[in-house]
Amino acid sequence: MRHATKVAAVIAAAALGLAACGSSETPDTTPGAGGTGTGAPAAGEQIKVGMAYDVGGRGDQSFNDAAAAGLDKAKAELNIDSKEAVAQNGEAESAREERLQQLIDADYTNIVAVGFAYAQSVAKVAAENPDVKFALIDSTDAKGANIENVTFAEHEGSFLVGAAAALKTKTNVIGFVGGVETPLIKKFEAGYIAGAKAVKPDIEIKVQYLTQPPDFSGFGDVAKGKAAAEGMYQANADIVYHAAGGSGGGVFQAAKAANKLAIGVDSDQALTADEAVRDVILTSMIKKVDVGVYDFIKSISDDKFAAGEKSFDLEAGGVDYSTTGGKIDDIKAQLDEFKQKIISGEITVPTTP
Amino acid sequence: MTRRFDLRRMGIALSAPVLAILVAVIVTSTILVVAGDPVGEVWGTILSVPRPRVIVAIINAAIVYYISAVAVAIGFRMNLFNIGVDGQYRIAAFAAAVVAGEGWLPGPLNILLGLVVAMLAGGLWAGIAGLLKVYRGVSEVISTIMLNAIATVLVAFLLRKAAPQTGSNIVSTQPIPEGSRVGGLPLIPGVSREVYGLVFLAVLIGVLYWFVLGKTRFGFDLRATGRSESAAVASGVKVKRMVLLSMILSGVVAGLVGMPLLFGQDYAYGTTFQPGLGFAGIAIALLGRNHPVGIVFAAFLWAFLDQQSNALQITAGVSDRLVLIIQGVIVLSVVIAYEVIRRLNVRIEQRRVAQALAEQAATVKEGAPA
Amino acid sequence: MRRGEPVVELHGITKRFPGVVANKDIELTVHRGTVHAIVGENGAGKSTLMKILYGVQQPDEGSIAVEGRVRQLKSPADAIEAGIGMVFQHFQLADNFTVLENVVLGAEGLHGIGDGARRKIKEISDAYGLDIEPDALVEHLGVGAQQRVEILKVLYRGARIIILDEPTAVLVPQEVDELFDNLRELKAEGLTVIFISHKLDEVLRVADAITVVRRGTTVAEVSPQDVSARDLAELMVGSELPSPSTEESTVTDVPLLTVEATSLENPLGGRPLLTDINLTIHSGEIVGIAGVEGNGQDELVEVIMGMREPTAGRILLGDVDTSTWQTREIREAGIGYIPADRHRHGLLLEAPLWENVILGHQTEPIYVTGPGGSLVNGSAARQETEAVVEQYDVRTPSINVTAGSLSGGNQQKLIIGREMRREPKVLVAAHPTRGVDVGAQAAIWDHIKQARRAGLGVLLISADLEELVGLSDTIHVILRGRLTGQFDPDSVTKEELGSAMTGATTEGAA
Repeated sequence: MRHATKVAAVIAAAALGLAACGSSETPDTTPGAGGTGTGAPAAGEQIKVGMAYDVGGRGDQSFNDAAAAGLDKAKAELNIDSKEAVAQNGEAESAREERLQQLIDADYTNIVAVGFAYAQSVAKVAAENPDVKFALIDSTDAKGANIENVTFAEHEGSFLVGAAAALKTKTNVIGFVGGVETPLIKKFEAGYIAGAKAVKPDIEIKVQYLTQPPDFSGFGDVAKGKAAAEGMYQANADIVYHAAGGSGGGVFQAAKAANKLAIGVDSDQALTADEAVRDVILTSMIKKVDVGVYDFIKSISDDKFAAGEKSFDLEAGGVDYSTTGGKIDDIKAQLDEFKQKIISGEITVPTTP
Repeated sequence: MTRRFDLRRMGIALSAPVLAILVAVIVTSTILVVAGDPVGEVWGTILSVPRPRVIVAIINAAIVYYISAVAVAIGFRMNLFNIGVDGQYRIAAFAAAVVAGEGWLPGPLNILLGLVVAMLAGGLWAGIAGLLKVYRGVSEVISTIMLNAIATVLVAFLLRKAAPQTGSNIVSTQPIPEGSRVGGLPLIPGVSREVYGLVFLAVLIGVLYWFVLGKTRFGFDLRATGRSESAAVASGVKVKRMVLLSMILSGVVAGLVGMPLLFGQDYAYGTTFQPGLGFAGIAIALLGRNHPVGIVFAAFLWAFLDQQSNALQITAGVSDRLVLIIQGVIVLSVVIAYEVIRRLNVRIEQRRVAQALAEQAATVKEGAPA
Repeated sequence: MRRGEPVVELHGITKRFPGVVANKDIELTVHRGTVHAIVGENGAGKSTLMKILYGVQQPDEGSIAVEGRVRQLKSPADAIEAGIGMVFQHFQLADNFTVLENVVLGAEGLHGIGDGARRKIKEISDAYGLDIEPDALVEHLGVGAQQRVEILKVLYRGARIIILDEPTAVLVPQEVDELFDNLRELKAEGLTVIFISHKLDEVLRVADAITVVRRGTTVAEVSPQDVSARDLAELMVGSELPSPSTEESTVTDVPLLTVEATSLENPLGGRPLLTDINLTIHSGEIVGIAGVEGNGQDELVEVIMGMREPTAGRILLGDVDTSTWQTREIREAGIGYIPADRHRHGLLLEAPLWENVILGHQTEPIYVTGPGGSLVNGSAARQETEAVVEQYDVRTPSINVTAGSLSGGNQQKLIIGREMRREPKVLVAAHPTRGVDVGAQAAIWDHIKQARRAGLGVLLISADLEELVGLSDTIHVILRGRLTGQFDPDSVTKEELGSAMTGATTEGAA
């Protein structure tokens, strides 16, 4: 009996993971929670986690999915009840505050705010609810005794995939598609360019952003991503790196149609993207948001929550490149050499282009 | 006789939005059933009594929506489709944020300066579309859509120049000095959130809109042009001038849309400044029939739906995007319903006039039936 | 006169619209091979009656028998099937199609669309003397010929009974004569014509029998030999009749409005819309403009009213050059305007009457209030509207109803009233009595004549030659944008005017 429920819980969690690979769906209450309540071996109190996703939510095959993976992992290992909610494009500041507050009202007192757009609302709601603990991903704009700021060295990871692109390009032209032109995404661009130039100083890099703030639809618009990448492929680029969240799906489609390559972001997209386009993914810049989320939940579970900035860089394994598909096996040695140089400080990767 | 007429007309006028809302409920419920989502919980959430905190949020959202809808309505009354309110208010809010952020003037004067700058910026931006229409015959629909796109890029571009370099992900202008912020009104007891102090601005705009359109000669000319451009021309209205003026006026009001947010909540223009208010304004103006009081109800309905839907994900497990379906269906059905009602009204009135005359003729003297 | 058997018999036809009885106990018998006229004032119920006969509307009571058979005419298709055809006042022809194409359109099944149809058209044309060439383009045909194409269309579909709705409204006198010749041919061939008109002299000339409709019901059937036009008119209105003639001249030598060598180029290219117009209106003078519609009347009015700027010449109000003034200044200077198209240019149909009374006079001191006259004086406007309604007999239950809910004649009276109440120096009046019933027409004429005695100058544009001749002190004929002749209304005949209007003669007697 005990075993049966445990198996059920694992299957449920796995099913969730698979569901996240499918096309975007309405986020739903997580059915796995009930099972873990009785069967989780990690005894003690049940931890109630509220997830507030950024635009795109679970199923974006990228940033939000990475965060969701962290939650799913925690659920598989710990005694967790969770509730998820997702942001809308063009919503009011008050809507974000309301979302966080609603989660708290429903007694989910450990909040993961996925994305820097939540900075202002986290600052406000955290001050109003000092007993609730927050993890704010990708932003140090809101500080407080109950806020953990989870950041990543995206520029370092992007440096590595930039180097990979430069090593693999045949036309000496590569591209970068940014979702929304924000400092965060600029960090991706800066690292990517630096990595590519470190390999080939004369390489041509086409850069395009899908939208300008305050329009954040660039993180969830497949059509825009596709159009931008198509343009780059037509202009002779043969590898395009995207840091565009859900819009990245369009970049992959364009690569598939042009019979060229693309680089994924945030998750190992050769595993998470639509199966039809997985073969165009050269590598992915993995940003281990899942680790950040998991660590936060784990720290609560272990009663070791610490406020303040927690940076996940290359050295800490917070960012990396993926090798799924074996397309970069031949240059792995060179990439690892760069990796060591960054970790040792021999190379300093810029954060602005 | 007249009073009875008006009462009846009012009843008919009210039946349209009520019908539209009913249709929206039915369509949305059908969608929910087909999708296998919990219909009861969804309506339970949306129609629940809002918590005090949410009431404040509804009032605040309605304030901003109201101003936006009035801006759109000014154009509508003139048969101008100002889709550009969205761009106009963002340009204006940005300009006002930059100027007010500098803090050149002390306290309240700085607020006033910010409002004036916003009106100027909004009016200028809308004026471009007006000039294009008057002198080049460019449809304001096309030009304002284009100007929206340009406004987005322009503001993003200027924002980076104007923003202090902090390395933060939220790029925003210099915050407005403490002394020039508009404090909130603690209207609802027991809630830390407050109603925007600039609620008075919305009220003032509403009163002015009613007065200028309904009572002034300018308003008469504007309405005449909206009802029949050819008749207005023949009556001596300088239509080109009216087009330009009303477009600018619409832009001036649009410029004020972001002000409650700027001075009462964000204190700076940044990447998270709420977009899309102009488009909501179009829907709300339609729903409110361009009427100063009608728009109040429409703005509150919109804000109510928006705020109540926030909880949908958490209580019913349904995306709060559902509210967009509800709102979309309401607008569509209301547009249809209003047109049906309008035609019905015309026919009813013609019939009543004929009937009244027939009665009159029967009692006084012989007369030909119409 | 030979009279065939009855082909159309209407008994007790009653048609109610909500609140109004449009037709009541209509009795009508039309015999084969006759031209049967139906006369009545505007709004008397002629149109409803014809719509019932053509199947557009169904009667609430009564019976219709066609050629001896009682019929239910539920649609025009039923009527056509019964052998009834209708020629509308506004032609329903595609200009860029040939006659053949227009005729077969919608009746392709009868004789095909090729030579069969062409033969049939020739055959009908010859049989009734219509003189129609099947392959001519409709846009190249004159108005009279287009009307004959309409008649041919109806005959082609097998009609034996033809309804003509106000067929002479669009024709000049010569064309009217030709039409009447055609009608005589038709009846000689055994066809029956139902002829709707309110032009009594024409009716007397062509009809074999006349039915008078008044207030929705048939009040008399008379024979043209037995009645005069005046008798008929009295039957129509049920009372004594006025006539438009002006008694004595009130013309002074004070020029009020002078149009000097004015031309207007066509912005789309081609022939100028106006060429070298010279015209003076003196105080107390009514200057009439006769012309077939579309020869520059509208443009002349628009130039005078400041809605268009002339490309050459100048316009003087007294001795002030107003050529570059805009409409509002010109109106403020005291020019009243009765537009030809009241729906497009005269009224806000969705606005209440009192707002419509302000229209065109927004800056008049009486209607404004507040600092700098920037506010509308609603109460003054309402008072004025009450006065207009009272004085000009606008039939309305209230001044708060929309202008669109009034009948056409009452709308026109409202416009006349709002202009005349402001006591203009000059009145530009295009078709001031169009669509107005006989009684109201006389009242409008009276108002104009009264103002004229007080020194009003009027530019009168009208398609009604009787009105022109009766009211004017001078008549100019406009043709292709030029004033081609000046006539003295006391001596000119309608035929002379008609010739000048069509360009048959170029210069009239001064």
